[in-house]
Amino acid sequence: METDNRFYILFPNHHQGLRLSQLLRERGIDYLIAPTPRQLSTCCGISLIVKGGDLEEASQVIAEHEIVVEKIAPAPKRDGDWKYRSC
Amino acid sequence: MADYREMWSNLDMDLEKHDVLCQVLPEVFGEVYLSQQKRPRGMDFYDFVVSEIHGVRPAELIEHQKSGGKVFGTFCVYVPDEIVFAAGGIATGLCGGSQFWVAAGEKVLPPNTCPLIKASVGARLDKTCPFFRIADMFVGETTCDGKKKAWEILASEVPMHVIDIPQMKRAQDVNAFEREIHSFIKVVEDFTGSKISADSLGESIKLINNKRKALQRLYEARKAAAVPISGKDALLVTQIAFYDDPSRCAQMANQLSEELEERISRKEGVFPEDTLRIMISGTPMAIPNWKLHHIVETSGAAVVVEESCTGTRYFENLVDETAPTLERQVRALAERYMKTNCACFTPNSARIDDILRLAEEYKVDGIIDTNLQFCNLYSTESHLVKQALAEKNIPVLHLETDYSEQDFEQLRTRVQAFLEMLRE
Ligand code: SF4
Ligand code: SF4
Repeated sequence: METDNRFYILFPNHHQGLRLSQLLRERGIDYLIAPTPRQLSTCCGISLIVKGGDLEEASQVIAEHEIVVEKIAPAPKRDGDWKYRSC
Repeated sequence: MADYREMWSNLDMDLEKHDVLCQVLPEVFGEVYLSQQKRPRGMDFYDFVVSEIHGVRPAELIEHQKSGGKVFGTFCVYVPDEIVFAAGGIATGLCGGSQFWVAAGEKVLPPNTCPLIKASVGARLDKTCPFFRIADMFVGETTCDGKKKAWEILASEVPMHVIDIPQMKRAQDVNAFEREIHSFIKVVEDFTGSKISADSLGESIKLINNKRKALQRLYEARKAAAVPISGKDALLVTQIAFYDDPSRCAQMANQLSEELEERISRKEGVFPEDTLRIMISGTPMAIPNWKLHHIVETSGAAVVVEESCTGTRYFENLVDETAPTLERQVRALAERYMKTNCACFTPNSARIDDILRLAEEYKVDGIIDTNLQFCNLYSTESHLVKQALAEKNIPVLHLETDYSEQDFEQLRTRVQAFLEMLRE
Protein backbone atom coordinates (compact mmCIF):
# COMPACT_ATOMS: atom_id res chain seq x y z
CA MET A 1 0.00 0.00 0.00
CA GLU A 2 1.28 3.49 -0.79
CA THR A 3 2.67 5.25 2.25
CA ASP A 4 1.29 8.75 1.91
CA ASN A 5 -2.31 9.88 1.95
CA ARG A 6 -3.44 7.15 4.31
CA PHE A 7 -6.11 7.24 6.98
CA TYR A 8 -6.53 5.41 10.25
CA ILE A 9 -9.95 4.17 11.29
CA LEU A 10 -10.19 3.70 15.08
CA PHE A 11 -12.73 1.53 16.89
CA PRO A 12 -14.09 1.21 20.41
CA ASN A 13 -13.16 -2.51 20.37
CA HIS A 14 -11.48 -5.03 18.11
CA HIS A 15 -14.72 -6.76 17.13
CA GLN A 16 -15.80 -3.71 15.16
CA GLY A 17 -12.40 -3.46 13.51
CA LEU A 18 -12.33 -7.11 12.50
CA ARG A 19 -15.88 -6.89 11.13
CA LEU A 20 -14.97 -3.92 8.99
CA SER A 21 -11.82 -5.64 7.72
CA GLN A 22 -14.00 -8.56 6.57
CA LEU A 23 -16.39 -6.25 4.77
CA LEU A 24 -13.62 -4.27 3.10
CA ARG A 25 -12.02 -7.49 1.96
CA GLU A 26 -15.31 -8.62 0.41
CA ARG A 27 -15.63 -5.28 -1.39
CA GLY A 28 -12.08 -5.48 -2.65
CA ILE A 29 -11.00 -2.36 -0.76
CA ASP A 30 -7.36 -2.46 0.32
CA TYR A 31 -6.68 -2.11 4.04
CA LEU A 32 -4.11 -2.94 6.70
CA ILE A 33 -4.73 -4.02 10.26
CA ALA A 34 -2.41 -1.92 12.39
CA PRO A 35 -1.72 -1.06 16.01
CA THR A 36 -3.10 2.40 16.74
CA PRO A 37 -0.36 5.03 16.77
CA ARG A 38 0.01 6.88 20.02
CA GLN A 39 -0.47 10.24 18.30
CA LEU A 40 -4.07 9.26 17.54
CA SER A 41 -5.17 7.66 20.77
CA THR A 42 -3.84 6.93 24.23
CA CYS A 43 -5.27 3.41 24.17
CA CYS A 44 -3.75 0.53 22.27
CA GLY A 45 -5.56 -1.84 19.99
CA ILE A 46 -6.34 -2.32 16.35
CA SER A 47 -7.07 0.26 13.72
CA LEU A 48 -7.52 -0.13 10.01
CA ILE A 49 -5.45 1.84 7.54
CA VAL A 50 -7.10 2.73 4.23
CA LYS A 51 -5.91 4.79 1.31
CA GLY A 52 -7.24 8.32 0.99
CA GLY A 53 -8.80 7.41 -2.34
CA ASP A 54 -10.80 4.59 -0.74
CA LEU A 55 -11.98 6.55 2.25
CA GLU A 56 -15.33 7.47 0.80
CA GLU A 57 -16.21 3.93 -0.16
CA ALA A 58 -15.01 2.67 3.22
CA SER A 59 -17.21 5.23 4.95
CA GLN A 60 -20.18 3.96 2.97
CA VAL A 61 -19.49 0.42 4.15
CA ILE A 62 -19.23 1.69 7.72
CA ALA A 63 -22.61 3.44 7.45
CA GLU A 64 -24.36 0.58 5.66
CA HIS A 65 -23.27 -2.00 8.20
CA GLU A 66 -23.51 0.25 11.24
CA ILE A 67 -19.92 -0.33 12.25
CA VAL A 68 -19.08 1.65 15.36
CA VAL A 69 -16.10 3.82 14.65
CA GLU A 70 -14.34 5.97 17.20
CA LYS A 71 -12.65 8.27 14.79
CA ILE A 72 -11.06 8.56 11.38
CA ALA A 73 -7.84 10.51 11.14
CA PRO A 74 -5.04 11.07 8.65
CA ALA A 75 -1.95 8.95 9.29
CA PRO A 76 0.59 10.89 11.35
CA LYS A 77 3.38 12.25 9.15
CA ARG A 78 6.91 11.11 9.74
CA ASP A 79 9.72 13.48 8.98
CA GLY A 80 12.34 12.08 6.67
CA ASP A 81 13.57 8.52 6.59
CA TRP A 82 12.69 6.24 9.42
CA LYS A 83 15.62 5.07 11.48
CA TYR A 84 15.40 1.62 12.99
CA ARG A 85 14.61 1.55 16.66
CA SER A 86 14.06 -1.33 19.01
CA CYS A 87 10.89 -1.93 20.90
CA MET B 1 -10.26 2.00 21.52
CA ALA B 2 -10.01 -1.13 23.54
CA ASP B 3 -9.17 -0.17 27.06
CA TYR B 4 -7.27 -2.84 28.92
CA ARG B 5 -6.15 -0.59 31.73
CA GLU B 6 -8.42 -2.21 34.25
CA MET B 7 -7.16 -5.68 33.39
CA TRP B 8 -3.56 -4.47 33.59
CA SER B 9 -3.98 -2.79 36.93
CA ASN B 10 -5.70 -5.89 38.31
CA LEU B 11 -2.53 -7.69 37.30
CA ASP B 12 -0.61 -5.16 39.37
CA MET B 13 1.24 -3.88 36.33
CA ASP B 14 3.17 -0.66 36.24
CA LEU B 15 0.89 1.19 33.84
CA GLU B 16 3.10 4.20 33.40
CA LYS B 17 6.15 2.20 32.41
CA HIS B 18 4.08 -0.13 30.28
CA ASP B 19 2.73 2.85 28.45
CA VAL B 20 6.20 3.69 27.15
CA LEU B 21 6.32 0.30 25.41
CA CYS B 22 2.86 0.83 23.95
CA GLN B 23 4.06 4.07 22.41
CA VAL B 24 6.92 2.56 20.45
CA LEU B 25 5.40 -0.66 19.16
CA PRO B 26 2.90 0.84 16.65
CA GLU B 27 5.61 2.90 15.00
CA VAL B 28 8.12 0.06 14.78
CA PHE B 29 5.56 -2.47 13.59
CA GLY B 30 4.33 -0.01 11.00
CA GLU B 31 7.80 0.55 9.59
CA VAL B 32 9.15 -2.98 9.86
CA TYR B 33 6.04 -4.93 8.92
CA LEU B 34 3.28 -2.88 7.38
CA SER B 35 5.59 -1.20 4.89
CA GLN B 36 6.27 -4.54 3.18
CA GLN B 37 4.75 -5.03 -0.25
CA LYS B 38 2.62 -7.96 -1.49
CA ARG B 39 2.04 -9.42 1.93
CA PRO B 40 -0.31 -12.42 2.03
CA ARG B 41 -3.83 -11.53 3.20
CA GLY B 42 -3.45 -14.29 5.78
CA MET B 43 -1.08 -12.01 7.71
CA ASP B 44 -4.15 -10.05 8.82
CA PHE B 45 -4.57 -12.35 11.77
CA TYR B 46 -0.99 -11.84 12.91
CA ASP B 47 -1.22 -8.07 12.45
CA PHE B 48 -4.29 -8.25 14.62
CA VAL B 49 -2.48 -10.24 17.30
CA VAL B 50 0.38 -7.72 17.41
CA SER B 51 -2.06 -4.81 17.53
CA GLU B 52 -3.75 -6.34 20.56
CA ILE B 53 -0.61 -7.97 21.91
CA HIS B 54 -1.16 -7.25 25.59
CA GLY B 55 -4.93 -7.36 25.36
CA VAL B 56 -6.75 -10.17 23.62
CA ARG B 57 -4.63 -13.20 24.55
CA PRO B 58 -4.04 -12.10 28.16
CA ALA B 59 -7.81 -11.65 28.49
CA GLU B 60 -8.33 -15.20 27.24
CA LEU B 61 -5.81 -16.54 29.74
CA ILE B 62 -7.55 -14.69 32.56
CA GLU B 63 -10.90 -16.17 31.48
CA HIS B 64 -9.28 -19.60 31.64
CA GLN B 65 -8.11 -18.87 35.17
CA LYS B 66 -11.55 -17.65 36.21
CA SER B 67 -12.97 -21.03 35.27
CA GLY B 68 -10.36 -22.72 37.44
CA GLY B 69 -7.63 -23.33 34.85
CA LYS B 70 -3.92 -22.77 35.35
CA VAL B 71 -1.44 -20.99 33.12
CA PHE B 72 2.18 -22.19 32.83
CA GLY B 73 4.87 -19.87 31.50
CA THR B 74 7.75 -21.54 29.66
CA PHE B 75 11.11 -20.41 28.28
CA CYS B 76 12.44 -23.19 26.10
CA VAL B 77 11.45 -25.57 23.33
CA TYR B 78 12.49 -28.56 25.44
CA VAL B 79 9.53 -28.07 27.78
CA PRO B 80 6.80 -30.51 26.73
CA ASP B 81 3.65 -28.39 26.41
CA GLU B 82 1.69 -31.61 25.87
CA ILE B 83 1.79 -32.34 29.60
CA VAL B 84 0.33 -28.96 30.52
CA PHE B 85 -2.52 -29.17 28.01
CA ALA B 86 -3.26 -32.79 28.99
CA ALA B 87 -4.04 -31.53 32.50
CA GLY B 88 -6.35 -28.82 31.19
CA GLY B 89 -3.72 -26.12 31.65
CA ILE B 90 -2.41 -23.62 29.13
CA ALA B 91 1.28 -23.25 28.35
CA THR B 92 2.49 -19.92 27.07
CA GLY B 93 5.97 -18.95 25.94
CA LEU B 94 7.51 -16.16 27.99
CA CYS B 95 10.89 -15.51 26.39
CA GLY B 96 11.52 -11.78 26.43
CA GLY B 97 12.42 -10.25 23.09
CA SER B 98 12.08 -6.60 23.95
CA GLN B 99 14.92 -4.17 24.55
CA PHE B 100 12.49 -2.33 26.76
CA TRP B 101 12.82 -5.00 29.46
CA VAL B 102 16.58 -5.33 29.38
CA ALA B 103 17.36 -2.46 31.75
CA ALA B 104 15.21 -3.92 34.51
CA GLY B 105 16.98 -7.26 34.10
CA GLU B 106 20.34 -5.52 34.32
CA LYS B 107 19.49 -4.29 37.79
CA VAL B 108 19.79 -7.82 39.15
CA LEU B 109 21.84 -9.72 36.57
CA PRO B 110 25.51 -9.41 35.61
CA PRO B 111 26.06 -7.22 32.54
CA ASN B 112 27.46 -10.15 30.58
CA THR B 113 24.13 -11.97 30.53
CA CYS B 114 22.35 -12.50 27.24
CA PRO B 115 19.54 -10.03 26.46
CA LEU B 116 16.94 -12.77 26.30
CA ILE B 117 17.53 -13.63 29.93
CA LYS B 118 17.78 -9.99 30.96
CA ALA B 119 14.53 -9.18 29.19
CA SER B 120 12.73 -12.19 30.65
CA VAL B 121 13.73 -11.33 34.20
CA GLY B 122 13.16 -7.63 33.60
CA ALA B 123 9.66 -8.16 32.22
CA ARG B 124 8.65 -9.84 35.44
CA LEU B 125 10.42 -7.55 37.90
CA ASP B 126 9.37 -4.36 36.16
CA LYS B 127 5.72 -5.45 35.99
CA THR B 128 5.39 -4.40 32.38
CA CYS B 129 4.26 -7.61 30.68
CA PRO B 130 0.81 -9.09 31.35
CA PHE B 131 1.92 -12.61 30.40
CA PHE B 132 4.58 -12.58 33.11
CA ARG B 133 1.96 -11.42 35.61
CA ILE B 134 -0.67 -13.95 34.58
CA ALA B 135 1.31 -17.20 34.61
CA ASP B 136 0.53 -19.20 37.78
CA MET B 137 3.70 -21.21 37.49
CA PHE B 138 6.95 -20.71 35.60
CA VAL B 139 8.62 -23.75 34.09
CA GLY B 140 12.36 -23.32 33.74
CA GLU B 141 14.96 -25.77 32.48
CA THR B 142 18.61 -26.55 32.97
CA THR B 143 19.90 -25.43 29.61
CA CYS B 144 22.40 -22.57 29.80
CA ASP B 145 24.00 -21.24 32.96
CA GLY B 146 22.41 -17.83 32.67
CA LYS B 147 18.94 -19.28 32.65
CA LYS B 148 19.61 -21.74 35.45
CA LYS B 149 20.60 -18.93 37.76
CA ALA B 150 17.82 -16.67 36.58
CA TRP B 151 15.26 -19.25 37.71
CA GLU B 152 16.51 -18.85 41.25
CA ILE B 153 15.78 -15.13 41.07
CA LEU B 154 12.37 -15.60 39.47
CA ALA B 155 11.48 -18.33 41.97
CA SER B 156 11.07 -15.69 44.65
CA GLU B 157 8.31 -14.15 42.53
CA VAL B 158 6.31 -17.06 41.12
CA PRO B 159 6.07 -20.82 41.84
CA MET B 160 8.82 -22.32 39.71
CA HIS B 161 9.44 -25.82 38.47
CA VAL B 162 12.75 -26.54 36.78
CA ILE B 163 13.01 -29.43 34.33
CA ASP B 164 16.38 -31.13 34.30
CA ILE B 165 17.43 -31.25 30.66
CA PRO B 166 20.29 -33.65 29.92
CA GLN B 167 23.47 -32.23 28.44
CA MET B 168 24.25 -35.22 26.27
CA LYS B 169 22.16 -37.50 24.10
CA ARG B 170 23.28 -40.97 25.05
CA ALA B 171 20.63 -43.64 25.66
CA GLN B 172 20.84 -43.04 29.42
CA ASP B 173 20.20 -39.34 28.85
CA VAL B 174 17.01 -40.00 26.92
CA ASN B 175 15.95 -42.32 29.75
CA ALA B 176 16.72 -39.62 32.27
CA PHE B 177 14.62 -37.13 30.34
CA GLU B 178 11.79 -39.65 30.24
CA ARG B 179 11.88 -39.84 34.03
CA GLU B 180 11.98 -36.07 34.17
CA ILE B 181 8.78 -35.90 32.14
CA HIS B 182 7.16 -38.26 34.64
CA SER B 183 8.15 -35.90 37.44
CA PHE B 184 6.77 -32.98 35.47
CA ILE B 185 3.47 -34.84 35.10
CA LYS B 186 3.29 -35.16 38.86
CA VAL B 187 4.02 -31.45 39.35
CA VAL B 188 1.41 -30.41 36.81
CA GLU B 189 -1.18 -32.81 38.23
CA ASP B 190 -0.67 -31.52 41.75
CA PHE B 191 -0.78 -27.90 40.64
CA THR B 192 -3.87 -28.21 38.46
CA GLY B 193 -5.64 -30.83 40.54
CA SER B 194 -6.37 -32.90 37.48
CA LYS B 195 -5.06 -36.29 36.56
CA ILE B 196 -3.41 -36.91 33.22
CA SER B 197 -4.61 -40.04 31.43
CA ALA B 198 -3.50 -41.80 28.27
CA ASP B 199 -6.60 -40.32 26.65
CA SER B 200 -5.95 -36.73 27.64
CA LEU B 201 -2.26 -36.98 26.82
CA GLY B 202 -3.10 -38.62 23.49
CA GLU B 203 -5.35 -35.66 22.70
CA SER B 204 -2.74 -33.08 23.60
CA ILE B 205 -0.04 -34.91 21.63
CA LYS B 206 -2.30 -34.56 18.59
CA LEU B 207 -3.04 -30.94 19.42
CA ILE B 208 0.61 -29.93 19.54
CA ASN B 209 1.53 -32.15 16.57
CA ASN B 210 -1.14 -30.39 14.52
CA LYS B 211 0.41 -27.07 15.37
CA ARG B 212 3.82 -28.41 14.33
CA LYS B 213 2.41 -29.79 11.09
CA ALA B 214 0.84 -26.45 10.22
CA LEU B 215 4.13 -24.63 10.81
CA GLN B 216 5.97 -27.28 8.80
CA ARG B 217 3.53 -26.68 5.97
CA LEU B 218 4.16 -22.95 6.14
CA TYR B 219 7.92 -23.45 6.03
CA GLU B 220 7.52 -25.89 3.15
CA ALA B 221 6.04 -23.04 1.12
CA ARG B 222 9.21 -21.00 1.70
CA LYS B 223 11.18 -23.54 -0.32
CA ALA B 224 9.53 -22.32 -3.52
CA ALA B 225 11.72 -20.55 -6.08
CA ALA B 226 9.47 -17.49 -5.89
CA VAL B 227 9.20 -17.13 -2.10
CA PRO B 228 5.52 -16.45 -1.32
CA ILE B 229 6.10 -14.91 2.13
CA SER B 230 8.82 -12.72 3.59
CA GLY B 231 11.11 -14.03 6.28
CA LYS B 232 9.86 -11.31 8.59
CA ASP B 233 6.28 -12.49 8.22
CA ALA B 234 7.18 -16.15 8.70
CA LEU B 235 9.17 -15.22 11.80
CA LEU B 236 6.18 -13.39 13.20
CA VAL B 237 3.99 -16.46 12.72
CA THR B 238 6.46 -18.60 14.68
CA GLN B 239 6.90 -15.98 17.39
CA ILE B 240 3.15 -15.79 17.92
CA ALA B 241 2.85 -19.59 17.90
CA PHE B 242 4.60 -19.63 21.27
CA TYR B 243 1.75 -18.07 23.10
CA ASP B 244 -1.34 -18.42 20.98
CA ASP B 245 -3.93 -21.11 21.51
CA PRO B 246 -2.41 -24.17 19.76
CA SER B 247 -5.49 -25.14 17.76
CA ARG B 248 -6.08 -21.58 16.56
CA CYS B 249 -2.39 -21.37 15.74
CA ALA B 250 -2.70 -24.46 13.55
CA GLN B 251 -5.87 -23.19 11.91
CA MET B 252 -4.39 -19.80 11.05
CA ALA B 253 -1.07 -21.20 9.85
CA ASN B 254 -2.92 -23.70 7.64
CA GLN B 255 -5.11 -20.97 6.23
CA LEU B 256 -2.07 -18.85 5.49
CA SER B 257 -0.27 -21.84 3.95
CA GLU B 258 -3.20 -22.43 1.63
CA GLU B 259 -2.84 -18.90 0.34
CA LEU B 260 0.91 -19.38 -0.05
CA GLU B 261 0.38 -22.60 -1.98
CA GLU B 262 -1.93 -20.76 -4.36
CA ARG B 263 0.75 -18.14 -4.81
CA ILE B 264 3.29 -20.85 -5.56
CA SER B 265 1.05 -22.35 -8.22
CA ARG B 266 0.89 -18.90 -9.83
CA LYS B 267 4.66 -18.46 -9.32
CA GLU B 268 3.92 -15.31 -7.39
CA GLY B 269 6.60 -14.25 -4.93
CA VAL B 270 7.07 -11.34 -2.57
CA PHE B 271 10.59 -10.55 -3.78
CA PRO B 272 11.97 -9.87 -7.25
CA GLU B 273 13.32 -12.90 -9.09
CA ASP B 274 16.93 -13.78 -8.27
CA THR B 275 16.72 -12.32 -4.78
CA LEU B 276 19.39 -13.95 -2.61
CA ARG B 277 18.09 -16.68 -0.30
CA ILE B 278 19.45 -16.52 3.23
CA MET B 279 19.22 -18.91 6.16
CA ILE B 280 19.51 -17.50 9.66
CA SER B 281 20.78 -20.02 12.19
CA GLY B 282 21.44 -19.63 15.88
CA THR B 283 19.73 -18.30 18.98
CA PRO B 284 16.00 -17.59 19.22
CA MET B 285 14.40 -14.27 18.27
CA ALA B 286 11.56 -13.70 20.67
CA ILE B 287 8.88 -11.17 19.74
CA PRO B 288 9.45 -8.22 19.06
CA ASN B 289 13.03 -8.91 18.00
CA TRP B 290 12.91 -8.40 14.22
CA LYS B 291 16.22 -6.63 13.83
CA LEU B 292 18.28 -9.03 11.75
CA HIS B 293 15.41 -10.04 9.46
CA HIS B 294 14.71 -6.39 8.86
CA ILE B 295 18.32 -5.73 7.94
CA VAL B 296 18.51 -8.66 5.54
CA GLU B 297 15.21 -7.98 3.86
CA THR B 298 15.80 -4.27 3.42
CA SER B 299 19.19 -5.08 1.88
CA GLY B 300 17.81 -6.94 -1.10
CA ALA B 301 17.80 -10.51 0.22
CA ALA B 302 15.15 -12.87 1.55
CA VAL B 303 15.29 -14.94 4.72
CA VAL B 304 13.88 -18.29 3.64
CA VAL B 305 14.45 -20.36 6.78
CA GLU B 306 15.46 -20.00 10.43
CA GLU B 307 17.42 -22.80 12.05
CA SER B 308 16.53 -21.62 15.52
CA CYS B 309 14.05 -22.08 18.32
CA THR B 310 11.86 -19.46 16.66
CA GLY B 311 12.12 -21.55 13.51
CA THR B 312 12.68 -25.18 12.62
CA ARG B 313 13.77 -26.29 16.09
CA TYR B 314 10.29 -25.44 17.34
CA PHE B 315 8.31 -27.72 15.05
CA GLU B 316 10.54 -30.29 13.36
CA ASN B 317 9.91 -33.89 14.46
CA LEU B 318 6.48 -35.06 15.59
CA VAL B 319 5.60 -37.10 18.64
CA ASP B 320 4.48 -40.64 17.79
CA GLU B 321 0.68 -40.58 18.10
CA THR B 322 0.21 -44.34 18.19
CA ALA B 323 1.61 -45.04 21.66
CA PRO B 324 -1.15 -46.93 23.49
CA THR B 325 -0.29 -46.29 27.15
CA LEU B 326 0.77 -43.33 29.23
CA GLU B 327 4.19 -44.93 29.75
CA ARG B 328 4.75 -45.30 26.03
CA GLN B 329 3.47 -41.80 25.33
CA VAL B 330 5.99 -40.36 27.76
CA ARG B 331 8.69 -42.39 26.04
CA ALA B 332 7.57 -41.00 22.69
CA LEU B 333 7.71 -37.47 24.09
CA ALA B 334 11.22 -38.01 25.45
CA GLU B 335 12.37 -39.36 22.11
CA ARG B 336 10.90 -36.47 20.15
CA TYR B 337 12.22 -33.71 22.40
CA MET B 338 15.69 -35.22 22.51
CA LYS B 339 15.85 -34.90 18.72
CA THR B 340 15.96 -31.11 19.06
CA ASN B 341 19.50 -29.84 18.64
CA CYS B 342 20.49 -26.94 20.87
CA ALA B 343 24.02 -25.81 21.61
CA CYS B 344 23.47 -26.60 25.30
CA PHE B 345 24.19 -30.24 24.38
CA THR B 346 27.60 -31.77 23.84
CA PRO B 347 28.42 -32.92 21.30
CA ASN B 348 25.88 -31.19 19.12
CA SER B 349 26.99 -32.30 15.68
CA ALA B 350 23.40 -33.11 14.74
CA ARG B 351 22.72 -29.37 14.65
CA ILE B 352 25.38 -28.97 12.00
CA ASP B 353 23.75 -31.79 10.04
CA ASP B 354 20.47 -29.89 10.37
CA ILE B 355 22.03 -26.72 9.01
CA LEU B 356 23.56 -28.55 6.04
CA ARG B 357 20.27 -30.31 5.30
CA LEU B 358 18.23 -27.10 5.54
CA ALA B 359 20.72 -25.26 3.33
CA GLU B 360 20.03 -27.78 0.64
CA GLU B 361 16.27 -28.07 1.16
CA TYR B 362 15.77 -24.31 1.06
CA LYS B 363 18.41 -23.76 -1.62
CA VAL B 364 20.10 -21.01 0.32
CA ASP B 365 22.83 -18.83 -1.14
CA GLY B 366 24.36 -18.08 2.22
CA ILE B 367 23.93 -18.45 5.96
CA ILE B 368 24.00 -15.88 8.71
CA ASP B 369 24.89 -17.73 11.88
CA THR B 370 23.99 -15.47 14.74
CA ASN B 371 23.88 -15.47 18.47
CA LEU B 372 22.70 -13.12 21.11
CA GLN B 373 25.43 -11.24 22.84
CA PHE B 374 27.02 -13.19 25.72
CA CYS B 375 25.53 -16.48 24.58
CA ASN B 376 28.64 -18.50 25.13
CA LEU B 377 27.11 -21.74 23.84
CA TYR B 378 26.10 -20.61 20.38
CA SER B 379 29.05 -18.32 20.06
CA THR B 380 31.48 -21.18 20.72
CA GLU B 381 29.58 -23.53 18.45
CA SER B 382 29.77 -21.01 15.62
CA HIS B 383 33.38 -22.07 15.11
CA LEU B 384 32.32 -25.61 14.24
CA VAL B 385 29.42 -24.35 12.15
CA LYS B 386 31.81 -22.20 10.15
CA GLN B 387 34.19 -25.11 9.67
CA ALA B 388 31.50 -27.47 8.44
CA LEU B 389 30.08 -24.89 6.07
CA ALA B 390 33.50 -24.06 4.68
CA GLU B 391 33.98 -27.72 3.82
CA LYS B 392 30.79 -27.62 1.80
CA ASN B 393 31.59 -24.25 0.26
CA ILE B 394 28.54 -22.61 1.78
CA PRO B 395 29.25 -18.95 2.57
CA VAL B 396 28.59 -17.98 6.16
CA LEU B 397 28.66 -14.80 8.17
CA HIS B 398 28.77 -14.95 11.94
CA LEU B 399 27.09 -12.10 13.80
CA GLU B 400 26.66 -11.37 17.45
CA THR B 401 24.02 -8.86 18.44
CA ASP B 402 21.64 -7.79 21.16
CA TYR B 403 18.19 -6.19 21.21
CA SER B 404 19.33 -2.58 21.02
CA GLU B 405 19.41 -0.35 17.98
CA GLN B 406 23.01 0.71 18.68
CA ASP B 407 24.66 -1.77 16.35
CA PHE B 408 22.02 -1.53 13.63
CA GLU B 409 24.09 0.41 11.09
CA GLN B 410 27.18 -1.61 11.79
CA LEU B 411 25.29 -4.88 11.30
CA ARG B 412 23.74 -3.55 8.16
CA THR B 413 27.14 -2.73 6.71
CA ARG B 414 28.40 -6.23 7.46
CA VAL B 415 25.28 -7.90 6.06
CA GLN B 416 25.43 -5.79 2.92
CA ALA B 417 29.09 -6.65 2.38
CA PHE B 418 28.21 -10.34 2.79
CA LEU B 419 25.37 -10.08 0.29
CA GLU B 420 27.64 -8.22 -2.09
CA MET B 421 30.10 -11.07 -1.89
CA LEU B 422 27.34 -13.60 -2.58
CA ARG B 423 26.28 -11.69 -5.66
CA GLU B 424 29.75 -11.78 -7.15
S1 SF4 C 1 18.31 -21.94 22.32
FE1 SF4 C 1 18.39 -23.82 23.55
S2 SF4 C 1 18.00 -23.14 25.63
FE2 SF4 C 1 17.31 -21.49 24.27
S3 SF4 C 1 15.11 -21.90 23.91
FE3 SF4 C 1 16.27 -22.89 22.31
S4 SF4 C 1 16.53 -25.00 23.03
FE4 SF4 C 1 16.01 -23.75 24.81
S1 SF4 D 1 20.51 -17.27 23.82
FE1 SF4 D 1 22.13 -18.49 24.79
S2 SF4 D 1 22.58 -17.42 26.73
FE2 SF4 D 1 20.61 -16.67 25.95
S3 SF4 D 1 19.08 -17.93 26.96
FE3 SF4 D 1 19.50 -18.89 24.98
S4 SF4 D 1 21.14 -20.39 25.40
FE4 SF4 D 1 21.03 -18.98 27.15
